[in-house]
Amino acid sequence: MANPGSALRAIGLVKEYKRGRAVDGVDLTVAPGERVALLGPNGAGKTTTLLMCLGAVRPDAGTVEIFGHRLPGARTQALGHVGFVAGYLPLPQSVRVEEYLRMFGRLYGLRHPDRAAGEGLARFGIEHLARAMGTELSSGQKTLVGIVKAALHEPRLLVLDEPTASLDPDVALRVRTGLRELSRDHGTALLVTSHNMLEVERLTERVVFLSHGKVVADGPPAAIAERYGRGDLEQVFLHLAGVET
Amino acid sequence: MIEKYPPGAASFWRVMAIARRHAYVLQRSPHRLFDIVIWPVVDVVLFGSIGVFAARQATGTAAQVALYLLVGVVLWHVVYQAQIAVATGFLEETWSRSVLNLLTTPLREWEYLAGVALFGLVKLAAGVGAVALIAWLAYAFQITSLGLGFVPIAALLLVVGWAIALFVIGLVLRFGSGAEALAWGILFVVMPLSGVFYPVSALPGILRPIGQALPTTHAFSAGRALAAGQPMPWGELGVAALSTAVLVTLALAYLGWMLRIFRERGFVTRYS
Repeated sequence: MANPGSALRAIGLVKEYKRGRAVDGVDLTVAPGERVALLGPNGAGKTTTLLMCLGAVRPDAGTVEIFGHRLPGARTQALGHVGFVAGYLPLPQSVRVEEYLRMFGRLYGLRHPDRAAGEGLARFGIEHLARAMGTELSSGQKTLVGIVKAALHEPRLLVLDEPTASLDPDVALRVRTGLRELSRDHGTALLVTSHNMLEVERLTERVVFLSHGKVVADGPPAAIAERYGRGDLEQVFLHLAGVET
Repeated sequence: MIEKYPPGAASFWRVMAIARRHAYVLQRSPHRLFDIVIWPVVDVVLFGSIGVFAARQATGTAAQVALYLLVGVVLWHVVYQAQIAVATGFLEETWSRSVLNLLTTPLREWEYLAGVALFGLVKLAAGVGAVALIAWLAYAFQITSLGLGFVPIAALLLVVGWAIALFVIGLVLRFGSGAEALAWGILFVVMPLSGVFYPVSALPGILRPIGQALPTTHAFSAGRALAAGQPMPWGELGVAALSTAVLVTLALAYLGWMLRIFRERGFVTRYS
């Protein structure tokens, strides 16, 4: 039996593509309610790691368990506990926001998807968008709707890939506030990738740095900055990306 | 506190959610009616008129050519609508970049296919209904004249359409948008080989064995026999059923193989 004490437990993940090894023996554990950032320069293997953790990409080696459900065999049970949102994924053009949320509510097995959608839209202050078509939303609104979608079923683990990329600071703040509330109110664990180091320091309590497909640092943001002898995470990031300031 | 359905009911609602999602697509994209109603109606007018013209020039049993063409076109649209609904249903997810969003929910592969196929039945009823209606109004051909024998023939053709769609989805998973053209094109390879409007004996000798191996060939042959007032050719229907079972097995195996490659090679990033 897997360890149900972890929200996510990925051990020894390896993924090799034709262009080379994207992920090289990554161990990644997220405790229930913990807020973790997965950071690294472009090509470090963040998205591939996330996709393996979600069962969308099969690792060449290693195992993934979500609340004790091992992928890929227990994928349906595991993903019932997970919400996923990516800032780069669009909403389908041919559906209204409320229809989109109702569909995902059903996919997550909710008895009352409309109620959950209403509460989710209210949490992020976008109730007025319920009847809007996907094509009528700004990129910030799409991201907020995407987060509402991912959190409809009160997941115990929320995975966010670049959730605030290309958002205005006010919308990004609303996203961070909503995510912190979600984590606090429901004990939702967060696993976030971002290129915004300030956001990471404000939102998460632990950082896992990837470089060339390997974990090179794992710990609280301040401790990592201290370990690398840098003033903040951004300088650590630049150091790992090979750019010195 | 969020209330959830137990696993069995949740599975049912996931299927319904996918069916409904595709109903929205059709509702908001009226141009898709071309595939469902307009092209089928064009086909029945085209082949019905060719048949009427040919029948006027012919004598004896050759005068039944219009009947054969109309039976063929109605039955053909069972395969066509079943295939196109499921194949373009999946393509819709690639066009709207929804694949990753769906893959990261509890939705199972079979639930997705069942949802698309379920709404595909609505499209099929609309498409075949339009064809049958025009055949009746314009050419006085009633599909009901085939009797109850029409039901098992149409059921087999429906399953064949779904099986071909599984092959197409497998190709799209493996080769990406480059394989999209097959969603429509593959049927135009199957059509002449299946003897939709003629017995396979009319095919060039080299193609006949391929035609004989297709379940559609035997289903269309059974349809023509019924149209000619003959009893149901159960032997033909049995061969059609057996070869349909083989086709479905191959299609499922191929789709499973392509899905495995899709996940192993990380092809989902093509749609994100």
